Amino acid sequence: MNDLLAHYGPFLLRGFGMTVFCWLLGTAGGMVLGLAIALVQRYSIAPVRWVLRAYIEAIRGTPFLAQLFLLYYGGPMFGLRLDPVPAGLLGLSVYSSPYFAEIFRSAFGSVPIGQIEAARAIGMSEFSIVRRILLPLGLVSALPAMVNFSIVLTKETVILSIITVPELMYQVQRMSAETFRYVEANLALALFFWGFVELISRLGRRFETRITKHLIERT
Amino acid sequence: MFSWTTFWESFIPLLWAARFTVLVSGLGIALGLVIGALICAAALSPMKALRLFAALWVSFLRGVPLLVQLLLIYFLLPVIGIDVPALVAAVVTVAICASAYISEIWRGAINALPRGQTEAAKAIGMAPLAQWTRIILPQAVTMSLPALINELILLVKASSLVSVVGIMEITRASQAQAATTFRPLEVYLAAACIYLVINLCLAGVGRWLEQRMAV
Amino acid sequence: MVRASSVEIRKVNKFYGPFHALKDIDMSIEPGKVTCLIGPSGSGKSTLLRCVNFLEEYNSGEILIDGELIGYETAGGKKMSSRRLREMRRTIGMVFQQFNLWPHMTALQNVAEGLIRVRGMAKAEAETRAADALEKVGLGDRMGNHPSRLSGGQQQRVAIARAIAMEPRLMLFDEPTSALDPELVGEVLTVMKALAAEGMTMVVVTHEMGFAAHVADQVAFMEQGELVAVDAPANILHHPEDPRIQSFLRTYHERNSF
Repeated sequence: MNDLLAHYGPFLLRGFGMTVFCWLLGTAGGMVLGLAIALVQRYSIAPVRWVLRAYIEAIRGTPFLAQLFLLYYGGPMFGLRLDPVPAGLLGLSVYSSPYFAEIFRSAFGSVPIGQIEAARAIGMSEFSIVRRILLPLGLVSALPAMVNFSIVLTKETVILSIITVPELMYQVQRMSAETFRYVEANLALALFFWGFVELISRLGRRFETRITKHLIERT
Repeated sequence: MFSWTTFWESFIPLLWAARFTVLVSGLGIALGLVIGALICAAALSPMKALRLFAALWVSFLRGVPLLVQLLLIYFLLPVIGIDVPALVAAVVTVAICASAYISEIWRGAINALPRGQTEAAKAIGMAPLAQWTRIILPQAVTMSLPALINELILLVKASSLVSVVGIMEITRASQAQAATTFRPLEVYLAAACIYLVINLCLAGVGRWLEQRMAV
Repeated sequence: MVRASSVEIRKVNKFYGPFHALKDIDMSIEPGKVTCLIGPSGSGKSTLLRCVNFLEEYNSGEILIDGELIGYETAGGKKMSSRRLREMRRTIGMVFQQFNLWPHMTALQNVAEGLIRVRGMAKAEAETRAADALEKVGLGDRMGNHPSRLSGGQQQRVAIARAIAMEPRLMLFDEPTSALDPELVGEVLTVMKALAAEGMTMVVVTHEMGFAAHVADQVAFMEQGELVAVDAPANILHHPEDPRIQSFLRTYHERNSF
């Protein structure tokens, strides 16, 4: 057992690092993309909105694994030849973007129209309104859902192992194939994820209440 | 160049493989409903041990990625002397995972019922069992229908993961098809289209149910 | 004394789909005068008010602020650029029924925001000005509070300060006291009276008949999208000729006596 850990420890550690890396970057990418989609949806003409609506439905209606295969194996056919890690990051961003877009859309919708009209009435430009009123208020009300979905995304990172991204799942499967300890390895991985997800859920909730309290003093 | 021929021809094997996607997600939700009901009952029971068990069940299955659960069960079953085909392991995994989410859906629906409903039943002297079968469950089940449709959509997508243990469902079949035609783009696009159509239909059913319930 | 605007409303019509919300409205408001719009709910008075700064688009007719058409380049022509509209709105202050303060900013920041973003003032200068405006509405000691820490009356006074800090020449009030508890109405009306005394042109949609009687120079009565009468307050509130006004006032007095 000690030998095993000594041998595989560094790989597992690196795998975990890769998992966190993919999770953080993929989530950030999805948020940025989702925010852009939600803003364009709000301020653009009908045909553009239809295209974005179709994008959202298409991505939400298909499995992440199928999207990854399409991107990783199908990509080269339209000139997008990516290594596993960039493909995984792009895949995770694209996959999560419509969910974030919907979160932002409903959050923007929850900003009272009166507060936007008040800004219009004093002659603020739409750009200033977005930056000073819509974003600060919308992001705060989007925060709980954002944290929630980000936590869901940690679990999706394991799917990246199927296109050989060397994250934790990938390293564990390699280890179990070499040592034939399939059950122990997967059990350990399951327990690890359980603890990890519980931990970040708690941290997420704490972060959320703190930031909400800081940004808005609601009674 | 995009080959429309390959694209259209891919639909034949992929649609044939879709029966396993339907089987895994369909059986997954059916079994998940049964197990989920039991877990939900445990979560609402007056016994602390049962409630703890339900809480651990839900927390574990929602915290661990489905892919990890799948491999764990797939490798674990033979070790503890249950030698079953991969398909059974796949269905069991999907069902168990679904049960955690479904029990939460039902618990939410039951908790959302106004307290006055049971109070009114008690007030006319209804027995506890009748309160459940006549008042609480009929309302909770109807209320949870849209959420259950949503869960089914998630399962259709999640069923793509059972390709990893060799089940010839849509995703696995498209891998095979891509390998023989050397045209992954067309094949995976076709696969995506099939998933999309299935899920859009399900979403339509969900919306229809929601509208009917709104009346 | 402030430089006050005139408002000229000519044959204004507004439709929501098939619903005719404003029917051929004609009204003129002289600089420095206070006009109260009264009438039953749904009569179109708020819609008319919101057309004056083009928060609501009217479909035909024209509204002129100091002789300048708002919302359209020419009467019945295409819409004016959003930049031009913003410039016109700078001189028109508006106060809403629901206050619409920005909850993530303090009272001071709420007032300074427009000065910084719209007038392009430096932060320090804007805040000095904002503080002056808040002093004027009697909230010098509440500048650092977020809206959630202020009473309804205080919030509405911050909203008024936010509008007057922009140095408007015309102020629009959309039922400014309707969302307030009765005991908080007075403090807001006091601020509005002071503003009227300074010579500000004001258009006020209100249910406060006392305010209309004592402060207004003219009172306009609307019903079902029509302007029934515009006249001196006494002629509308005390000796109305039109039966619609009589019945409205009867209901009003019945509700307010016990």
